[in-house]
Amino acid sequence: MKKNNKIINTILAGVTTLTLCTPATATETDPIKVGVMLPFSGVYGGLGEATRNGLKMALKEHAADLEGRTIEFIEMDTEARPDRAPEIASSLLNKSHADFIVGPVHSGVAMGMIKVLKDKDSIMIIPNAGANAATGPLCAPNIFRTSFSAWQPSYPMGKVALDAGYKKVVTMSWNYGFGKESLEAFEESFTAGGGDVVKKILVPFPKTEFQAYLSEIASIKPDAVFVFFAGGGAVKFVKDYDALGLKGKIPLLGSGFLTEGTLEAQGQAAEGILTTLHYADSLNNPTNNSFRQRYAENFGKPSDLYAVQGYDTGLMIANAVKSLQGDISDRKALISALENTTINSPRGDFTFSKAHNPIQNIYLREVVYGENEVIQLAAPALEDPARGCKM
Amino acid sequence: MLFNKRTERLFIWIFFPLALMMPLFLEQNTFYVSKLTTVMIFSLFVMSLDYLVGRCGLITLGHAMFYGLGGYIFVMIAPEYEAVNFWLYTLYICSIAAAIALLIGLLVLRTSGIYMIMITLAFAQMAFYYFSDSIEFGGNDGVFIYVKPETSLFGLSLFDLDNPIHFYYLCLLSLFNTMAFFKIIMRSRFGRVMDAIHENPDRTVALGYNVFFFKLISYTIASALGAYAGYLFTLQYGFVNPSMLSWTTSGTALVMSILGGMGSIYGAILGTLVYEGLHYSLEHLTEHWLLFMGALIILMVMVFKDGIAGYLEKLLEKRS
Amino acid sequence: MTTTLFIVQLINGLQYGLLLFLIASGLTLVFGVMGILNLAHGSMFMIGAYLAWYFVEHTGSFGVSAVVSAIIALLLGILIERTLIRHLYRRNHLDQVLLTIGMIFVFNALQSILWGNDPLGVAVPELLSSSIPLTDILEYPVYRIFVAIFCVFIAIVMYYTINKTRLGMLIRAGESNREMVECLGIDISRLYTVVFAIGVMLAAVAGVIAAPMTSIVPGMGEHILIACFVVVVIGGMGSIKGAFIGALLVGLVDTFASVLVPQLSSMMIYILMAFILLLKPQGLFSS
Repeated sequence: MKKNNKIINTILAGVTTLTLCTPATATETDPIKVGVMLPFSGVYGGLGEATRNGLKMALKEHAADLEGRTIEFIEMDTEARPDRAPEIASSLLNKSHADFIVGPVHSGVAMGMIKVLKDKDSIMIIPNAGANAATGPLCAPNIFRTSFSAWQPSYPMGKVALDAGYKKVVTMSWNYGFGKESLEAFEESFTAGGGDVVKKILVPFPKTEFQAYLSEIASIKPDAVFVFFAGGGAVKFVKDYDALGLKGKIPLLGSGFLTEGTLEAQGQAAEGILTTLHYADSLNNPTNNSFRQRYAENFGKPSDLYAVQGYDTGLMIANAVKSLQGDISDRKALISALENTTINSPRGDFTFSKAHNPIQNIYLREVVYGENEVIQLAAPALEDPARGCKM
Repeated sequence: MLFNKRTERLFIWIFFPLALMMPLFLEQNTFYVSKLTTVMIFSLFVMSLDYLVGRCGLITLGHAMFYGLGGYIFVMIAPEYEAVNFWLYTLYICSIAAAIALLIGLLVLRTSGIYMIMITLAFAQMAFYYFSDSIEFGGNDGVFIYVKPETSLFGLSLFDLDNPIHFYYLCLLSLFNTMAFFKIIMRSRFGRVMDAIHENPDRTVALGYNVFFFKLISYTIASALGAYAGYLFTLQYGFVNPSMLSWTTSGTALVMSILGGMGSIYGAILGTLVYEGLHYSLEHLTEHWLLFMGALIILMVMVFKDGIAGYLEKLLEKRS
Repeated sequence: MTTTLFIVQLINGLQYGLLLFLIASGLTLVFGVMGILNLAHGSMFMIGAYLAWYFVEHTGSFGVSAVVSAIIALLLGILIERTLIRHLYRRNHLDQVLLTIGMIFVFNALQSILWGNDPLGVAVPELLSSSIPLTDILEYPVYRIFVAIFCVFIAIVMYYTINKTRLGMLIRAGESNREMVECLGIDISRLYTVVFAIGVMLAAVAGVIAAPMTSIVPGMGEHILIACFVVVVIGGMGSIKGAFIGALLVGLVDTFASVLVPQLSSMMIYILMAFILLLKPQGLFSS
């Protein structure tokens, strides 16, 4: 029985200590709590890391705007797993009482987060996940996005294809939310102008064996191919497209992620690919040039799209805190400040739509000597239609 | 008494009173209450797996299929914007899951050992891809449940599932009931036959028992309870996702079961607590928590050969 | 489907299947001889790919990289067998599952620490980087043909080794009766070390040659592991001949299913496996 008592006593002591750590009521000199819900391990680890770097850099550079308040970061690794999303979001909301919750990268995780955070006290800012629903049917006053909706990067490519004279196009992507939404957006503008999507290939997610599908495309002989793939899948697809002889014979068009963060691994195979995206590393404006230099100095590696999105999230927070003179306790005022801010982003200045999604330029890029060169503006100040949003 | 093993009683007398009191201590922090609830729900699932693998010797790597089905069946049969009755739907879901288990069991239980592992995996993967590639079920991103069931019984409204504390106690009660239920089965004549089948199936056949029938019943019961756990998980945050059905979920549950000590039933709770506790504390310390988790698991296999329960039993059980 | 397309898909399926064989052969060999189910086998494939990338980055030569990676894999296999695997021989399948899952975690974490999480690529070696034109649009990459030929070559070497050499004889003997082999004075523990190291090396070499065709990402090990299991189970655990046939079957079914029944394509190989197991519960060629 002695052993039992010892165990029980230790446990009781631990529990008592826990209960004594009750949170004090927040005051204006307390740090602003920024919860960070990103993947730091696994396939999306690099994206999470870049986003975090950008976020921290912005808030550090604009520390003066915070009117004397400091930032406390609470970082949690989502592992890009949707089933862990509600739990982690709940932790940041209920345990840490975060003022802002920044995340996620992955759209599935975003859905889980929104479930918990919608219409709650914390302000959720999505620095990447593009699921249309977040600024569509599931939109809410406390949910913002500084990245893009799945519709935005892909929609302008339809017109690009039409202008180039393509009539028959095959579209291809993974069979999941973001992939399907991207293909639908392209199809919307392409068919509206008289184009024909002769075949839509949906590859089971996350399969990367493309040989069979590419062989099929070769036998169809369309005018062009439009795809959405990202990360490792994008690398493989582009390499396979080249190896199978399609490169140069059937033009390859893509939503920008096909060539983001993948060009080095893709090598020669990526040359000549046209993509549309709301950013390009090579964008030649003072904000971007300065940003890229500062990022490289701070983190010892080149910046990317995800770093920019993280950075813009930080700018957004700093702008709002400044306009409220450091007092963010009135959530309604905070939301209003966030809604009306202009972000001086490396991608170009942008504002937010009523559904809280960026109204931004979409650029047409071509891969030239291993870099995404901006050819022209594919769509200026493009606003996502926010179908289903009741705000 | 029902719980005849000393270590079992020790565990029950420590764990359940503590668990009962936890919400009183943690009143301010609904996060911890919710986290513990999630742990308890998963340990219910692990317990059903433990019974199947540890007690009956039916090794499956596809048990998470039923965990996911618990959630997806609810999405399939419940109306979208109406609050249904929790108890009624528990009955529905467990029955449907049991029926599916019956069908699959008829096919799967003819194999054994490594082949059974593989074929159960095959079915789980098929279910995973079915829901993952589907349009109606939200595909890879999952589905939301907008209205939680209400819990009235005979016209009396009992508690509110939206209240984390109520939900905690519901899950705690479910966990205890499941544990008691398995113990009753194990100590019954049915349980003794299953033990015999586990130890020596051929001899049991020679004794005249329909071994296949017994296996089928065990498989069905365990699967129905696994589905119940999945149903609870879905109700906690109102979110179903194909990853619930994945083989990694099954694998994790297996790891927890082995850690806790296979076959002991209460070991399932221990294993889940230890694994989740480690995960929670490690991931706050380092980005590379997987490294330490993996090393710890390897260490556990080398040292705690029969899991934690096995180790405790060696220490504390009277020699028979 | 035109005849040309059919032939192209046939080649695609066979080539994919042959690569699967290379990886799966190690898994089935280890299980057949040692009775060990090594879930971390997919991790060995991943390690091969990452090592290939690393050495190509530092030496610029794919050939050198391949040889060095193979040697490292061999040594790694010996190390793992000596320190970890040998404790599993008297334990049950579940303990093996647990230990090898732990190993998966460790390898994944090490991969993340050593090489990071960004997708990596290895360029196809110059010599093999051309393509053979098949139709006016379609070409077939020479490298994939090389991979297929290489896998066939390894299959022949394995066949020869197992059926015509002393080591092969020991392997066959160890597969059918472990204790007897010990009684005959053979050092079974040395045999096991050799077999395990070979198994690891096969998977790693598969990773090396697959590297120019695929993208090197975290999680690539688990992804290929599942396909490997299906192959090995269909073929019969422990049977190399079974792994060969099983791999070709899986490769062909997966390839044709993706174009013929796209809605069911991800489930097809599992339906195939379930079907075969229900007819022949021990696989096609169980030993």
